[in-house]
Amino acid sequence: MDYKSIRKSEITEFLDNLIKEYVIFAPIEKDDIVLYGRIKSGNEVILDYSNSVNSPKEAVIPQLETLISCKTDKDITCVKEHLDEQEQFLLFGARPCDARSLLFLDKVFSDEECKDIYYVNRRNAVTIISLGCTLPQETCFCTTTGGGPFSTDGSDLLFIDIGDSYIVQIITEKGAELVEKLDLRKTQDDELTGMDMLIKKSRASIEPEIELDKLKDKLDRSFEGSAWEILAEKCLSCGICTYLCPACHCFDIVDEERKCEVERIRLWDSCQFPHFTMQTSGFNPRPTYKERYRQRIMHKFSYCIDNYGMVGCVGCGRCVTQCPVNLDIRQVLTSFYGK
Amino acid sequence: MKNLYLPIPMKVEKNLIETEDRNIKTLTLSFLNKRDEESFGFMPGQFAELSVLGAGEAPFGIASSPMYKKHLDFSISLAGLVTTELHNLDPGDTVGMRGPLGNGYPIDMLQNKNVLIIGGGFGFSTLRAFTSFMLHPENRKQYEDISVVYGARNPGLLLYRNELSEWEKRNDVQLHVTVDKGDENWEGRTGVVPVIVKELRVDTENTVALVCGPPVMIKFTLPVLAELGFAPEQVYLSLEMKMKCGIGKCGRCNIGSKYVCTDGPVFSLAQLNLLPQEY
Amino acid sequence: MTDVSSKIREEARKLLKNGEVDVIIGFEKGSIPFSATPCFVRNEADTDKLIWNEYCGNNLARYLSEVRGKAGIIAKGCDTRAIVELIKEKQIQRERISIIGVPCEGMLDRKRIMMSCQRKDKTGIEDQDGQLLTRGDSLNTAVKKDEFLYPACHVCTNRNPVMYDVLIGNTIEERKTDDFADVTEFDEKHSEERWAYITDEIGRCIRCYACRNACPLCYCKECFVDSTQPQWVGKTTEQSDTLSFHIMRSIHLAGRCIECGACERACPVLVDIRILNRKMSADVKNLFGYKTGLDIDQPAPLSIFKPDDSEEFMLDV
Repeated sequence: MDYKSIRKSEITEFLDNLIKEYVIFAPIEKDDIVLYGRIKSGNEVILDYSNSVNSPKEAVIPQLETLISCKTDKDITCVKEHLDEQEQFLLFGARPCDARSLLFLDKVFSDEECKDIYYVNRRNAVTIISLGCTLPQETCFCTTTGGGPFSTDGSDLLFIDIGDSYIVQIITEKGAELVEKLDLRKTQDDELTGMDMLIKKSRASIEPEIELDKLKDKLDRSFEGSAWEILAEKCLSCGICTYLCPACHCFDIVDEERKCEVERIRLWDSCQFPHFTMQTSGFNPRPTYKERYRQRIMHKFSYCIDNYGMVGCVGCGRCVTQCPVNLDIRQVLTSFYGK
Repeated sequence: MKNLYLPIPMKVEKNLIETEDRNIKTLTLSFLNKRDEESFGFMPGQFAELSVLGAGEAPFGIASSPMYKKHLDFSISLAGLVTTELHNLDPGDTVGMRGPLGNGYPIDMLQNKNVLIIGGGFGFSTLRAFTSFMLHPENRKQYEDISVVYGARNPGLLLYRNELSEWEKRNDVQLHVTVDKGDENWEGRTGVVPVIVKELRVDTENTVALVCGPPVMIKFTLPVLAELGFAPEQVYLSLEMKMKCGIGKCGRCNIGSKYVCTDGPVFSLAQLNLLPQEY
Repeated sequence: MTDVSSKIREEARKLLKNGEVDVIIGFEKGSIPFSATPCFVRNEADTDKLIWNEYCGNNLARYLSEVRGKAGIIAKGCDTRAIVELIKEKQIQRERISIIGVPCEGMLDRKRIMMSCQRKDKTGIEDQDGQLLTRGDSLNTAVKKDEFLYPACHVCTNRNPVMYDVLIGNTIEERKTDDFADVTEFDEKHSEERWAYITDEIGRCIRCYACRNACPLCYCKECFVDSTQPQWVGKTTEQSDTLSFHIMRSIHLAGRCIECGACERACPVLVDIRILNRKMSADVKNLFGYKTGLDIDQPAPLSIFKPDDSEEFMLDV
């Protein structure tokens, strides 16, 4: 494993250099909340944060994107594909859970047999510098879902906060190339010792609580039954958990007239909305909060294992923090696990 | 890399009113570009997303046989925004098509078997495609006995009348057309599909049943098939779900871990029995 | 607080035992710090779960139009105002609900409390003797809980339940007048400034519909925003679509919004949704002298016509 170091005081300059080559997405503070957004200058970035309210999935699956468009209504012969060349994109300061979520999204959108060209184009242009979590929050459960506060999955570089400096762990070729271009100092041995201790301490604070294989087995046997109805009774069927989730990726495709063109746009959708599965006939296979919440849990913790060999959850805890009625996914999983 | 969201431009050849209530029309489309026509191949039972820009896309089973390469038929029941636009198309208009999508009927396993086709109402479209495919001179000898049970609520709602009367004349297919309720001119059979199926007294050995139709027909037909001795592995159903992408990504058409758009729409009853009852 | 909790449990137990209700809708302890969570209690034994504290911010009336059977509900002032409107709008029947009223001194904003200690120089926050104590590497600061009151609670005029079958504890003093100072201040701003504020706030909207789904009065089986035939509002997160959604929603709530602030509490990106609804409430008050959620016999002003209704919008020809 290769390491470099950078002083915290040098971060702004580091980013200002990179901003010439990359569109940089990083955590910034806006109206009291920390959100992922595009930065114009290195000093906007906030790194002493727990996690952002939104996830950085926007970088690869924007909430709204035009797939194709057409100048005149209905004329299918003059369709324009919206496949502009992608600018190089740098995701800076993403938490390891969020970096890991991109590996999951790759399985959905980039699988060999059926590649989604819009996703693949964006994804290829993304470099990820993540930031290890020295202070996991009470709502974090990344270790339960197979990650960890210093997981390198999905990251090209991993920054580790050791006080006055960050240790830069080089994970991929892409990361190594980026480091080449910059003048980072050599990491001292005592810095590495300090880092090991921090990592150990942080890991110990979030021990995994559930074995995913066993959980899947129990969930598969619990599809029927009243448990779901009771668990999800307080659910508001809003889209917070799905929209803030870094792994949720369901979408809708609609045609809209925008700027004198007819555009076919793709936008986020949520399995928690009644209309998601409502057929034109009026029949809905998931008519109530019970079926919809069950779908969310089963999709993440059973169906995704069947289809992608990986759960569709990285344990970031956003759905726990932001749910307006405190419907805590960890409690739901534990309740089935305990059965 | 192919853009899976880009529709193939098609030209409307015909837009035929199928039913007396004018609710179902059959669109016949041809390819605008020769290259698209040449590279397009499909199996009976597959579907495609038809799109009218400005209104959107919706999935429809391909109702014509792949043996007729130049034209594709889609039967469209008037229901929402997209279907309204599709109904309004005139010959010469253009329309988008993404496909073929889905798995289609299990053609390989049906070789040298008796095939029992059971269709109801609008659900008959891909079964028509498959029947027509089997009856093609090049294909007919690959199948043993072919029986078709097709029902509609009333005579005015029967689809593909010309083709049905052609099949009627053939002696290599047993056609049983039925209506729930006849009218003064109706001389055919009356009775719901499950009852007709029951009366057939088919030999289940070496027979496979393909079923597509409204939920109520399926609900009452499946027990009849079981009673006749069909094992779940011998019954195939073509399912319908709300879909958007058609390529297993948008996340709405799954039944358990199976996506109707990519793993289906055709499933054996044995496969379905392993999945949750959420469809 | 604990005293109130035990009295709530007692009343809930009584109602379930006597078969007066099938379910009690109340709060139980939340899974994260500074939280309480809605719960549905169906048997006597489970009534021990019920709690009452300053984190019981959800408007539980939201569940009444969906819950099966006769329901008992633990209700603050704002919850009861929602109940009044729901009865008026024939969504629920008074005789099928039992209201356990609880006076409320205002609820605390969990998310702001957590945010206040999430930056790294602070390591945690604790509730100590009515004050919130922020711990940190370099500093320990005590913050008065009042500073974290929800904005809606700051201007609440009905801290006591307006309708109840049982009242827990003693009533508390109400604010004397309707305080629309926030609306007046906003009105006085230049239109460009108001536009900038609203577009900036609503620009953050991600269209998760938590505001609508948390609202006790947003019970429509099909919301205008979900309708596809015709499609009234575009589905994108562009300004024209999100603004249309929020403005149309607030107009639909004019004369119906009971100002509980549930919409704003649910919002994950802290959009000031309430400013639109507050403006509507101020207008309804000024034009019709009406305040929502007080009296089930008083018809909603926009559901009736009176010859002397204000008609400022009419043009003299």
